[in-house]
Amino acid sequence: MNSAYLAYAAKRLAQALVVSVLAYILTFVVVSILPGDPITNVLRDPQNGFTEDEIKAIIAAQGLDQPIPVQLWTSLSHFVTGDFGLSMRSSRPVATLIAEVLPSTLTLASAAFAIALLLAVTIGYGTQFLPKRLGQGLLRGLPSLFLSVPNFVIGLILIHVFGFQLGLFRVIEPNSFWATLFASIALGIPISARIAEVLIANLDKESEQEYAAVARGRGLTQMRLFARHLLKPSSLPVVTVIALAIGELLGGSLITETVFGRTGIGSLVQRSVSTQDLPVLQAVVSLAALVFVIVNLLADLGYPLLDPRVKLIGDRKYRPTTADDSPATVTAAVTS
Amino acid sequence: MTFASFSDSRTSISRLSAVRVPPTVALSFAVIAIVVAWALAPELFTGHSPIVGVPAEKLLSPNASHWFGTDHLGRDLYTRVVYGTASSVTSALIAVTIAAVAGGFMGLLAGFLGGWVDILLARLVDVLLAIPNFLLAVIVVTAIGFDTTNAAIATGVSAVAVFARVMRSEVIKTRRATFVEAAFLMGGSRWHILLRHVLPNASRSVLPLAVLQFGLSILVIASLAFLGYGDPPPASDWGLLISIGKDYLKWPWLVYAPAFVTIATVLSVNRISRWLRKTD
Repeated sequence: MNSAYLAYAAKRLAQALVVSVLAYILTFVVVSILPGDPITNVLRDPQNGFTEDEIKAIIAAQGLDQPIPVQLWTSLSHFVTGDFGLSMRSSRPVATLIAEVLPSTLTLASAAFAIALLLAVTIGYGTQFLPKRLGQGLLRGLPSLFLSVPNFVIGLILIHVFGFQLGLFRVIEPNSFWATLFASIALGIPISARIAEVLIANLDKESEQEYAAVARGRGLTQMRLFARHLLKPSSLPVVTVIALAIGELLGGSLITETVFGRTGIGSLVQRSVSTQDLPVLQAVVSLAALVFVIVNLLADLGYPLLDPRVKLIGDRKYRPTTADDSPATVTAAVTS
Repeated sequence: MTFASFSDSRTSISRLSAVRVPPTVALSFAVIAIVVAWALAPELFTGHSPIVGVPAEKLLSPNASHWFGTDHLGRDLYTRVVYGTASSVTSALIAVTIAAVAGGFMGLLAGFLGGWVDILLARLVDVLLAIPNFLLAVIVVTAIGFDTTNAAIATGVSAVAVFARVMRSEVIKTRRATFVEAAFLMGGSRWHILLRHVLPNASRSVLPLAVLQFGLSILVIASLAFLGYGDPPPASDWGLLISIGKDYLKWPWLVYAPAFVTIATVLSVNRISRWLRKTD
């Protein structure tokens, strides 16, 4: 822990803070250009039975007649203290609505993540040790195939095969063990592909290293060679992909929850989109961005600590080869 | 990128014939050719109507006269898929164009001007990356209204950051090249160098990315259509067809046929993108 690292950490932290606030503002701007006038639409709903004067009073009390920048400031300062406002449809605190559905989404997302990791490592193992002709090509093509299948199609295939044909679960019981498992598989498969792509590239690189040859020469078992000499050094670059995968888990849960009929953050968003429930959308999107920023901050801060070869040069940080980077974008500062 | 490869003046056509095309890539091009043909002239590929069905022939399984079977209104599913192609493909094209132009422009400015412009744009890109892609597309399409064109715009917006990042790094790499330095020394103006030397070279690696993003956009737009954020029926975008099919899982071809077409298209596009990246 030297002063260069502390300076780097401070800079990254400040950046993360700025990005979080900007994400909130961007969301606010996008959400506030919604067509029509969702706020008065709700208030004028005959079921609510407000008179014109009452509507004006409510609007004034909520500060909705203030200029947009003032509204933004009020809403942002409330958000920081954990007050996400009231849902426009149910008049309940947005924080409560989110807290209610969060466990379900967390279960789904963490199971999906575990499955994605397991699948990626299995594919990675196969690409190193399966005979060249037999299956290796197939395994190497698997990530590409996974990324070409719409997320909801994977879900529908699983429901059709395992739910309808094999009768393992029933669609009307979305929280049963099997239904949750298959929902997690549907969500996990595209994410496993992203991890596998990077893992395979790094495993290939590692297996060409001299120490891998030495380990092979010492007669280590495949499993040991893989775990200690190939997987371990390859897992660091994967950390960055994993951090990026968090966003995909959140986005993917929207589809998966719809397909499997689960309640969760995704279905909350979908409901809020169709009812134009602005406070809920604002809160969920900003929280998603916040989670993403924090996870990536942790990954970036942890990286130099985990890999002593990484030297921090200015604001350039070590970035491993990731799938969507062209070789040029990788500004590696590794000295070996 | 060296000076030699830059001054290489072979046309792209002779380059294509010089490179041997692997069979899977040839197959991918064939798939894309069919899809493009479907999009341009759907009436040449089917004699059925995509909108008016024959009620007596509803929910038939795939057979000689109905390759993909028929749906719950007795419409030929193959015809629906063929007629849905134009909108599915065009919207992905719109999305990629928006993302490549806006993102490319941002990356170009950030990389070439540097300084505070770079810092400002870098933060904007960070913000766009921070909001999960699909969630961003969903709120943008919510804000501008539900139809297929808007879904395409939203998908494009959500992909701007990726292009900006790649373009920026390519521009920075090109800017340091010897020939750009030479152009500066010969008295070329900033804008002349930017447009004449930096842009053409930096855009090279944007092409494979654009192709890859085209495939991704098909998926994202299909997902938006699946959630009902695109044109309503009787439109027959691939995502919408799958979405309708999910209510009739007893007749699984209603899901599998349009899904198969979508997957084949995206797989082909991805294969071509990977091939482009390798040969460039």
